[in-house]
Amino acid sequence: MSWGRFDTRTIVLIPIAIAINIVLGQTVGAVLKVPVYLDSIGTILVGVLAGPIPGLVTGLLANLIWGYVLPAPFHSDFAAPFAIVAAEIGLFAGILGQVGGFRSRPNTDLGRLLIGALVVVVVLGGIGYYGFLPFYAGADFTFFGDTSTASPFFVALGYVIGIGIIAAMIGLIVLLFVRRDVGVAYVAIGGLICGIISALISAPISAVLFGGVTGSGSDLLVAAFQQAGSDLQTAVLQQGLLQDPIDKTLEFLIAFVILHTLSRRFVARFPQGEKAIGLESA
Amino acid sequence: MLTLSGVSYRYAGYAKPVLHDIDLSLADGEIVGVVGANESGKSTLCLVASGLAPGSIGGAVTGGGLAIDGEPMADKPLYAFSTRVGIAFQNPATQLSGVTGSVFEEVALGPMNLGLTQRETVERTNAAMATLGIEHLWDREPRRLSGGQGQLVVIASLLAMRPPHLVLDEPTAQLDPEGTRLVGDALRALASTGTALLIVEHKTDLLDGLCHRVVALDEGRIVLDGPAAAILEDDRLAALGVDLPSRVRLARALGSRGLDAAAVLA
Amino acid sequence: MPATPSPYHRLNPLTKAVIATVGSIGAFVLGGYVGPIAIIAATLVLAWRAGVAGRLARVSLLLTLPIAISVVLVSVFTRAGTTVLFEIGPFDATVEGVDFALQTLVRLFAISLSIGLFIMTTEPRAFVFDLERRGVPPRAAFVAVATIEAVPTLVERATTISESQRARGLDTEGSFVARVRGLLPIVGPVIIGSLTDVEERSLALESRAFSRPGRRHLLWAMPDSGWERVLRWALVIGLVAAAAARISGRI
Repeated sequence: MSWGRFDTRTIVLIPIAIAINIVLGQTVGAVLKVPVYLDSIGTILVGVLAGPIPGLVTGLLANLIWGYVLPAPFHSDFAAPFAIVAAEIGLFAGILGQVGGFRSRPNTDLGRLLIGALVVVVVLGGIGYYGFLPFYAGADFTFFGDTSTASPFFVALGYVIGIGIIAAMIGLIVLLFVRRDVGVAYVAIGGLICGIISALISAPISAVLFGGVTGSGSDLLVAAFQQAGSDLQTAVLQQGLLQDPIDKTLEFLIAFVILHTLSRRFVARFPQGEKAIGLESA
Repeated sequence: MLTLSGVSYRYAGYAKPVLHDIDLSLADGEIVGVVGANESGKSTLCLVASGLAPGSIGGAVTGGGLAIDGEPMADKPLYAFSTRVGIAFQNPATQLSGVTGSVFEEVALGPMNLGLTQRETVERTNAAMATLGIEHLWDREPRRLSGGQGQLVVIASLLAMRPPHLVLDEPTAQLDPEGTRLVGDALRALASTGTALLIVEHKTDLLDGLCHRVVALDEGRIVLDGPAAAILEDDRLAALGVDLPSRVRLARALGSRGLDAAAVLA
Repeated sequence: MPATPSPYHRLNPLTKAVIATVGSIGAFVLGGYVGPIAIIAATLVLAWRAGVAGRLARVSLLLTLPIAISVVLVSVFTRAGTTVLFEIGPFDATVEGVDFALQTLVRLFAISLSIGLFIMTTEPRAFVFDLERRGVPPRAAFVAVATIEAVPTLVERATTISESQRARGLDTEGSFVARVRGLLPIVGPVIIGSLTDVEERSLALESRAFSRPGRRHLLWAMPDSGWERVLRWALVIGLVAAAAARISGRI
């Protein structure tokens, strides 16, 4: 396994990847107002194309530049301390690329596709269920049960999350079967694991430095979990474990689609490109 | 003196070579035009002549290889090529580095990368900008230049490295007529510096009157190689998908009407 | 960049960066109210001397205001506490919650001001090249400067593409689904286009001896002075001392 190389192409790619991170991250938040960040796609691409260490560096630099160098309107006061998380994402994506996690495996037989779909559903469902436990247990709002005493706001939030998770599951399965490509399942699992790791690392940073607040939709979730009885640290962790896996899985899948949309010739010229995409006949 | 001896080249991951048995020489101060249909291998030829193939993009060069002033360049690091042969492409936007705030800094970037002293860098930058007549643009933002101006800055940036040879791959392809005119004048100015030029162009008018020699490519092979005046009037060019220079077309049109072209055009 | 540079502007970029870093980390290290408010005051004084106080305060307020709402929700209403001030529906605002919220807000404002002052008084390229003069590798400096350029360039590209899409009748307003569908035809070409540029850009840079190892003699020279060096070290040592005190003594 290679840790990656910083050749000229990589050096040229990194700023563009960081720009993609920042522009997507800020636009998605502003335009779509959905609880996903989508600010690491560039980092993932560098990790896969150039290797784990370049991916790590990209994540670090992206957040530091976003936080310390760029002027408004591209500035973020929150990005800098999360540089560690961004670095972890780049590193993880790079390692996943090295072991072939981003390869396309087309024409997979139906059996393997079904197994892949099952694994994804189980893992995603597990996360959703864990995230919903406090909703069920909290006395104030069980949104499947008696909703008369619950704040309609949080009931609605619960529904949104539930729908989001189910939509993600359906989307994944559709992608799997339309492309007949079990590579999608590998990428999804990778994203889920990365999301869990990211949540674990970012929770203390968010709780201690920012009081659990980042000015995005995730704050609502933190508030919800706190209302359900968790203390700040736990609430932030719960929010992270719910949101990060979904966000990272989505980002990994988008990166996967991008990687396979780019021409093979282009990808192959990057240090780890061939290894990431897999060798096919020219 | 830049020579390619019996060079064949195939891209990485492809079995078929794109260039076959290329024998090409570029003497000091010589200006050679390259013409040919699309996909005839002209761009690949530029990449091989500048060392970027296989240096940066991989692939396999077979045959005698590239040699500059007798020295084989096969195992040299990439940055060693930049002081021997520079290369300019079509799109000014992707050739400007994107890290400089002024045209002066942009042109100075190459010499700085070479580790030259401040004094040498400034000298070379001024000289290169003067040659191309862009001193008045010195503090403009490179991003905001027109296409033609951008290409001039690109060529100046290469010239500042003082390479004895310059390869230009369709420098006017993405430019409007004004930009094309600017670059055409710039090429003439370059000619007077004694830099050897290898110019790939569809617009044979640019090559007409500028080049000493013209080479025609067809399917990766050199099929014509001779003095510019002769080649640009060669009947076989049309069959190769190359537009003749307007001078030649006009002369033929006049001639076919029985007019004495030489007298009319004098 | 403002039209009339002040003495603060003319400080060495690294000095200004250290001030910003110490200010922002210090706001967190010192905790409570006194520390961050002192940092806010100090930063505003420096900003006033630099002639950017008004602009800085406005921008930082704009940036922190949306977060204030979240802070209120997370820290005031839903945080567990004992002394209830008032109630809104199932939410109770506790003294502890208000206290925590205020502390967070003050800290965030201090961080925003510190970093904002640096950004408003420093040309990013000057900072990066000064770092390169101090030993940062040229290719790292390239990445930093190129990123600063790459972001507006990407936005320009997206704007151009979105305008041409709109001319072809693609909807970018309206319902959520419409907006997603409106975004996709823009996001795709923008990302793919920017990525494919990488190939040509790296070839062009190779021709400028980009991959040559070794230091360069830069055309930029930022002045630095002895007392600035002393100040930088004093600030850093002060920060470390404060952190030590916080961890051990005043926890």
